[in-house]
Amino acid sequence: MNPGNLLLFAVGGLSLAAYLFIVTAGLSLVFGALRVINMAHGSLYMIAAFVTVVVANQVGVAAGFWAGLLVAVLAAGAVGAVIEVVVLRRVYRQEHLIQLLGTYAVTLIVAGLVRLIWGGSYRTMVAPALLTGSLQIAGFSYARYSFFMIFAAMLIGAGVYLMLYRTSLGRNIRAAVSDSELLSASGVNVKVLFTTVFIIGAALAGLGGVIVAPSQAVGTTMDSDILVLAFAISVIGGLGSIVGSLVGSVIVGEVISFGLANPATNPYALAFVFIIMVVVLTIRPWGLFGIAEQ
Amino acid sequence: MIRLSRALAFFAVGVLFATACGGSSGTNTTTTFKGTKKVGLSIALSGQSNLYGHAISQSLLLAAADINAKGGVNGYKIEMDILDDATTVDKAVANTQQLILQDQVVALIGSVTSAQCAAETPVARQNKIITIAATCNSYQLTLEPDLVSPYWVSIVPNTYMEGTSAGQLAAKLGAKKIFIVAPKYLFGTSETNAFVASLKKQNANVTFNDPATWYVPFPTNPRWDSTINAIQAFHPDLVYSNIFSQDQVNFIKQALAVDPQFFTKYPMETLSSIDDFNALGAQYPQGMHVYMRAPFFALSNAKLDAFVKEYHDKYNEYPSDWAVMDNDALNVWATAANKAGSFDSDKVMKEILGKSFVSLRGYTFTIRAQDHQANVGETIGTTTDSAGKYPFVTLKDLTNLKGDDILMSTTLMQEVLDGKCENNGDPKTANFALCPSWSK
Repeated sequence: MNPGNLLLFAVGGLSLAAYLFIVTAGLSLVFGALRVINMAHGSLYMIAAFVTVVVANQVGVAAGFWAGLLVAVLAAGAVGAVIEVVVLRRVYRQEHLIQLLGTYAVTLIVAGLVRLIWGGSYRTMVAPALLTGSLQIAGFSYARYSFFMIFAAMLIGAGVYLMLYRTSLGRNIRAAVSDSELLSASGVNVKVLFTTVFIIGAALAGLGGVIVAPSQAVGTTMDSDILVLAFAISVIGGLGSIVGSLVGSVIVGEVISFGLANPATNPYALAFVFIIMVVVLTIRPWGLFGIAEQ
Repeated sequence: MIRLSRALAFFAVGVLFATACGGSSGTNTTTTFKGTKKVGLSIALSGQSNLYGHAISQSLLLAAADINAKGGVNGYKIEMDILDDATTVDKAVANTQQLILQDQVVALIGSVTSAQCAAETPVARQNKIITIAATCNSYQLTLEPDLVSPYWVSIVPNTYMEGTSAGQLAAKLGAKKIFIVAPKYLFGTSETNAFVASLKKQNANVTFNDPATWYVPFPTNPRWDSTINAIQAFHPDLVYSNIFSQDQVNFIKQALAVDPQFFTKYPMETLSSIDDFNALGAQYPQGMHVYMRAPFFALSNAKLDAFVKEYHDKYNEYPSDWAVMDNDALNVWATAANKAGSFDSDKVMKEILGKSFVSLRGYTFTIRAQDHQANVGETIGTTTDSAGKYPFVTLKDLTNLKGDDILMSTTLMQEVLDGKCENNGDPKTANFALCPSWSK
């Protein structure tokens, strides 16, 4: 493969990794802090994508995406808050299977509501002019939007990392991971903290939905499309680790990109992702950057 | 008290009288039906192909209403029994079993994907239920021994008809280096093989991307970066695709994001439909070479125009190719059942095979007795701006290919049925391109 092709597929893999990371970061944050496997994470991503398209098409191309971004993230956060208060508070102390079933039920309810509200047909929108267009590098075209996705992922990753390690909220989240009872005893309202964390996770899922909305058809299969890969990435990188989500996303993105490009590996490209997942589970079950459960 | 109870008694008698005259036997304002018979449909109301399932279900509901307005079938009101299969095979099979065994449908309309239809066929065959296919179209459904059913009818141009038409179009365009992208399941492989065989027959020197990269998993990942990058790396004269619905929409959007001139630099020939045009609206590229099964604007005739108006008035959208063909499907069955004077599948099939039916598509088609395939046509053309007439592109330089010109010849068909088109007698390698008469 010549350098031009190498760069082409590498950037393709990174743009895929970008939106996967944004979604997976939220999933990982929620599990890391709350020890909850949130099957409804994909639903929040889907809701945000629909809201973005609807708002953008109402407001118009120029300001539509940015208005949609604001409204969609708020919507995802609000729905996340409702899920946390109504469902998750009742299952925190339950085994993971109960949490899985509870959040899966939410997935089905949300899927039905989305179809009821927005119908079964796909919706599309146009990206804002600032982000459209292409760049020519070494004889190949690159979507400007791909670089936006990569940049947005880096910004969000940095933001989440700083939040976790440079703010009092982050300190409390990390303390809650270690010992939520001790944290509660020290005067922190752990209930509110958990709701806040879930809202942040939901907002991150929503951000993922906003970012992909201009680049693909928004439809009612989005929740499941993203969830399988997001869980695979979380397993590879380590549930609860933002760095792990980043590394896992890059691994998955590049494996798919280069795997599909090569005739010898094309039929197995997606399978490679899950082979890697199985290998990681076998050798290091808590993931590459995760912490073993006590 | 006595007056009140008398009044109540009169009221109760009145209600009973009204019910006896009005309700459960399905009387409409002018017709009294003997009862209700159900026609089943397992369709993608969610999932990858929900764009098509939505149009199909709407069209069939309209068709059933029209049939009932004319007196129903054999004096019975026809009711569509529609179940969502989410574009999955296992749900399609489960739905088919439910429709036949629990809901007692008298006929079925075929599902969207060939994979689903291939799985449903044995169930319908075992229970002797007629299936009229108007969307799923792999020719193997009517020729492969494991799949052939005496109760299966196809009124949609099959993958042989479409693939060979597409191959002839590609040859006319003079393409010498072609990048193929197709979904990896029965329909995609069948149609792609037909395309390649037809094109190679016209031009043996044409080259393709590595066959190992022709197919993408189905349903697909919504990101098409790898395929788009692979096309750029390959520098083809033409991209051939038969990806559809959500996949086509995503591919086009993402390719245009990479390069607004993508489809000028890499001209594309693809299967398409009004649904795909509508999903992208003005974003659907102009200059795309497309082949379509029943675009209403290319087949205008009094009957179709009336249907388009009726559909648009009711649903505030234009009927897609699937809507047109599925309307034909229900009408074929209804016409045959009325002629047979029965719902018995064997009797109804006698009124279908070898018989002709007037289509919304502006011609009469005949269901060939040997393979139960109708000689329906295909439209080819190049996308262009509709100048505000429709909220989507239309076609220029269009040709409505006649069914008789693209139908598999009876010689070829018989060779396939006789197992003469296999490598070393291995049925898994069956391909019409291996037939003795194909290379003549």
